[in-house]
Amino acid sequence: MVEIVFLTPFITGILAFFLPKAVGRSFLVGTGTVHLCLSLLLWKNRPEAFFSNYFAVTPEGLLSLLVISLLFFLISIYTVSYLEESSIKSENIFTGSMLLFLSTMTMVTLSDHIMVMWIAIEATTLASAPLIFTYRTPAALEATWKYVLICSVGIAMALLGSVFITLAMDIGNVNAPLSFSALTEVAKEINPTWLKAGFVFILVGYGTKMGLAPMHTWLPDAHSEAPSPASALLSGVLLNCAYLGIFKTNKIMHAAGLGDFSGTILMVFGLMSIIAAATFILKQNEYKRMLAYSSIENMGIIAFGTGIGGIGVYGAVICLIHHSLIKSSLFLSSGNILLGYGDRFIKNTGDMVRRMPKTFIAFFGGFAGISGFPPLGIFIGEMFIIVGAFRTGHYVAAGIFIFSLCVIFAGFANQVMKISFDDYSNEDSDEKTTFKEKASMVWPQFILLLTSLILCFYMPDTLYQTIIDAVNAIGGGL
Amino acid sequence: MILNPVDTILSLVLLSVLFAFGASRVPGLIKVIAFQGIVVSIVPFFIGHEMALGGTVFTIATLIIRGIIIPMSIYIAIKKVAIKREVEPIVGFHASLLFGLGLIVASTYISRELNIPSISDFTLLFPTAIALLVTGMFLLIARRNAIAMVIGYIMMENGIYLIGTTISVRARHIVEFGILLDILAGVMIMAIILQNIKQTFDDVDTANLRTLKE
Repeated sequence: MVEIVFLTPFITGILAFFLPKAVGRSFLVGTGTVHLCLSLLLWKNRPEAFFSNYFAVTPEGLLSLLVISLLFFLISIYTVSYLEESSIKSENIFTGSMLLFLSTMTMVTLSDHIMVMWIAIEATTLASAPLIFTYRTPAALEATWKYVLICSVGIAMALLGSVFITLAMDIGNVNAPLSFSALTEVAKEINPTWLKAGFVFILVGYGTKMGLAPMHTWLPDAHSEAPSPASALLSGVLLNCAYLGIFKTNKIMHAAGLGDFSGTILMVFGLMSIIAAATFILKQNEYKRMLAYSSIENMGIIAFGTGIGGIGVYGAVICLIHHSLIKSSLFLSSGNILLGYGDRFIKNTGDMVRRMPKTFIAFFGGFAGISGFPPLGIFIGEMFIIVGAFRTGHYVAAGIFIFSLCVIFAGFANQVMKISFDDYSNEDSDEKTTFKEKASMVWPQFILLLTSLILCFYMPDTLYQTIIDAVNAIGGGL
Repeated sequence: MILNPVDTILSLVLLSVLFAFGASRVPGLIKVIAFQGIVVSIVPFFIGHEMALGGTVFTIATLIIRGIIIPMSIYIAIKKVAIKREVEPIVGFHASLLFGLGLIVASTYISRELNIPSISDFTLLFPTAIALLVTGMFLLIARRNAIAMVIGYIMMENGIYLIGTTISVRARHIVEFGILLDILAGVMIMAIILQNIKQTFDDVDTANLRTLKE
């Protein structure tokens, strides 16, 4: 039963490579719908997996799965219209890769075995590389090359980390399956030195994929060169998948009583990412790269919150959910901007409020959400993290954190104002040919933002309980 | 001290690591990874963990893939598309060699400190693995030729494979499966990309890939 959720997009993805365009597009939406239904069923029933050694339904996995499902469903609706507007040469490859990408990410959320998780994360790289290369320009090629190479090295590090964990088990004479749930139970007996080494390598490996500085260099390129629906997926859910790998390993560390060690490292990487994002976001001249750096910032916030523990972990998970919803909506809006202006530089855009009012609402709303306007979701999450940092006595770290957030907000706001309100100077563009905002290209963004907004004021009990279950395992909670 | 057969062949791998640091042309590097691929896949036979039929089949498959298929396909690739043979170093060869020597000393020292019980009989096993890992990473960073970078990546994986297969039986099972999948897919994709770099830039010098930066 559990396995069906990732097998469905896998099969449709393979088929989409060979079928004509129109069928591929309907496959995209169809699979999105089926996947969403299956995920909701999974959420409700929480069944045992058929291969229970390798797959399991965990609270943190369910959270990510539901986010992935919802996002993919909305993005697939957007993608169909986007494909009509833009000129993508080999559409079969694009739709097929999108579906395979969905399949591999679903597999990450459901995997319980260390190696299955590793294989699934590796598979996400392979499935998403063709997406980044879609436009076949030299810049797209460079981005893909960097992405594949850097992430492969990262994933190799994670493999080494997994090997070290098995060594730690051997030295501690532990006889258990190599699954996260089994290891968490016997964590006390595992040799701590090698477990620490394993955690560090896994953190560096999956952290590369998650976009933590200083391993983040592929991220701005990949996210800006990919077509916008693919960027939305990359930023909205792929980063969460990598985080899930770190989260689950961190769970073992906490069960082994090494939570302080893993927390400190996570905090350092988190702060570095936030500082890196603050440094680079100020002088960004492309809007998609700016959004990519904002993703690095948010991943940094999430890692920092996870490292702090206690109330901070809860804040991190809140940030994780809201970041996915808002950032994917922003990337979809950036797709509209790209289609509307035909340019990725901020200086060649402007006056969006009059030229594309609906996109403007989506983009500006997204900006308000992502930069943490009170009382929106990210703000709540960040508040929890800051409170957590003060409670645990990390005053300096909290200071750097708050300062960087201010800098990022200033940089982001400056660019968004330029896009939205500056005069648009390109006179030779014919007013009649301007981009028409179809309902299917703005409503997905609105729904994403609305979901985020509703979650700020009303969180269903089942969702709340799942979050609490997830964070309890690593010493989190309200 | 009498060297056992494993240490004897691993000492040759260490020499090949030094050769990789000094190699100025891609064909030489291909020979190095072919040799290393063969050695790292036969080492598990000598370690003395009991090996089931499945394990033997996996090991032979790895031997064929790492020792023959991958080096051959890279060799054919450079022959067919007439790619530049020079590795185009960012760090010069003398400095590279010096780094290599330092690396071997450091890795020997580190593994003496770590002293892993399951492989303590084989003095050179862990140092070689570390050396392979770091050399691979060095080639990735300090060579500009795209194929030399792919070779660096494969060398890194060889190092991980060497640690994984020998350190424990449990680790061997995971590494076998993981790496086979990884290396196959990785090389295929990289080959496709290389093909495209070739078409777009008429060359695989990654210096052409330096436009996206901050």
